[in-house]
Amino acid sequence: MKTNRIMVLAVALLAITVSLVFAEQIVIQYDCIPNYANWGGVTKAYQEKTGVQIPPDMKGSSAAMTALEAEEKSPKADCAYYSGAIGFQAASKGLHEPYKPKGWERIPADLKDPNGTWWTVHLAHVAILVNTSALKGKPVPRSFDDLLNPIYKGMIVYDDPRIQGTGFTFVSGINAVLGGGNNLKVGFDYLKKLDANILKYAKENSYNELLRGEIPIWINADGNGLKAKNVDKAPIETVIPAEGTITMPLVMGLVKGAPHKEETKKYMDWLLTDEAQQLMAESYFQPVIPVKLESSLQAKFPPESAYAKAKVLPLDQLAAQADSIKKRWELEIESGR
Amino acid sequence: MFTPNPPITASSLNSFRERRQLAPLLLCLPLLLLLLVLLVWPLAHLFQQSLLLTNVPAGRITLRNYLEVAAVPRYRHALFWSLELSFAVASASTLICLAPAWLFTRYQFRGKLIIRGILSLPMTFAGMIVGFLMVILLGRTGFIPQILERMTGSPLLSGVSYQFPGLILAYLYFEIPRATLTLESALSKLDSRLEQAARSLGANRWQVFRLVVLPAIWPALISTFAVTFSVSLGSFGVLLVLSIRRFTLLPLEIFTQYIVPPTDQGIAAAMSLTLLTVAFVTGYGLRRVARRIGVTHA
Repeated sequence: MKTNRIMVLAVALLAITVSLVFAEQIVIQYDCIPNYANWGGVTKAYQEKTGVQIPPDMKGSSAAMTALEAEEKSPKADCAYYSGAIGFQAASKGLHEPYKPKGWERIPADLKDPNGTWWTVHLAHVAILVNTSALKGKPVPRSFDDLLNPIYKGMIVYDDPRIQGTGFTFVSGINAVLGGGNNLKVGFDYLKKLDANILKYAKENSYNELLRGEIPIWINADGNGLKAKNVDKAPIETVIPAEGTITMPLVMGLVKGAPHKEETKKYMDWLLTDEAQQLMAESYFQPVIPVKLESSLQAKFPPESAYAKAKVLPLDQLAAQADSIKKRWELEIESGR
Repeated sequence: MFTPNPPITASSLNSFRERRQLAPLLLCLPLLLLLLVLLVWPLAHLFQQSLLLTNVPAGRITLRNYLEVAAVPRYRHALFWSLELSFAVASASTLICLAPAWLFTRYQFRGKLIIRGILSLPMTFAGMIVGFLMVILLGRTGFIPQILERMTGSPLLSGVSYQFPGLILAYLYFEIPRATLTLESALSKLDSRLEQAARSLGANRWQVFRLVVLPAIWPALISTFAVTFSVSLGSFGVLLVLSIRRFTLLPLEIFTQYIVPPTDQGIAAAMSLTLLTVAFVTGYGLRRVARRIGVTHA
């Protein structure tokens, strides 16, 4: 009887200590989609190195920002990852607190907030990811204009820009790529024409569906396509469109009132080390800090000339327009049967 | 041998009645408390939210949110499509479940338990899982289009999962089991001697079904319809995966209003209460109809 009680007590104590230890060894990152920018691999490497867990989180940029807003009084997340404009928007709403990780000075000045409320962790470009075997003999589209060809009817997917940051970057940036003016008319006219070929506006990450060929053409970040080809060995071609593309800084910020602040700062420091940046490069996202890549890896990136016409959009303007662009997309592209 | 009951006095009857009323009330207390915490309070909060404009936090009480739900075509369509879908799914699943439910109540056969077990599986799947299953089955490169391609040379039904019929199929997938189990419990109460009597009076099988069984099970059919209708009205996880173009459902719009910036809690609350009212009115109305029919046939 007595030993029994002691056992129970010991087990309870053990359970409490274990949970306390684990509680410290966790960092919550909103928008930590394993199949986007290889966050699955990056967080796993960090856990192996330090024992700190960063669980996957399937929220897109905008959903992450909304969650932070809703939890402002008692934050659940430590940091968040976004497409540039949405991260900028979240920072200007006061959802972040400043933190300049080690290596901060190596980030180019236009890719960070001078106070440290947001900073770029890596870059990507909007690209046309094509599963060539799912095309069934149709030519690989080389430009945004090619995508309007009726032969691709029901084969093209891009992300719902109201939820996913990459979809938002595409929808808001296509106007500039096609040489449109301030009112985005050229861009929206293009999106209306493209609508005829769209299979769906994905609300969830479509990486696995691209690999399987369920989705033959996905407008998404170039890095995801290159990883699909080189790491997951799927027949995926990453096309940088002939008209040019949009450069997309992907940014992070420390959440105001983060529950695991010190762990998060260490994690952020690590993300800017050569080691982590190299790891991101190996998953084909462009490091924000210039790291020396092996020539065999460098050769797998598209040539620099492909990005010659890439547009860099001012994040502040984009952030200011974000809400109205999403509403306009819902009204002009997504409404009515 | 035979002991007569003690004489019933007025006071003993009263205390008996009181105890009879008090005990069930006490037993229901946890449920009542739960209802208060989980239903009344959130509903009151929702109602308050729906009467305030999100952009004007300290503003006056207004019906603007409800007016907007009625006025904005997207929201109006969302409500009508939700009703359309739920009606289609509820009627189809009630019709389809009739045969299996009948089979389960009237016939004994091997493997009945396991079949019923398997049948109740889809009800436990989350909407998103059903969505992924639909993509695997009827997506662009779904299982069925691939088989049809092998047989006919062209990938028939390819991509149906991203269209309205695909959505109906997905809903049927988890509503038919629910309907079957609901109806089965009602059918098991049906007196099989009625059918035997009708048969022995010379009615054929069809006549037995139409004149004896059907009138008796009408109320059960209607309440099965009511259950599947209200469940369909509220679910949207399937659509989250299938993302049908230019189509939405009211619950999905509520979800979007809450998570997509600029969020609007006021409109979302007004939509939620609209959906709730519709679900309650149809559920309650149908149950009243079912009872009336039940009474006239009893």
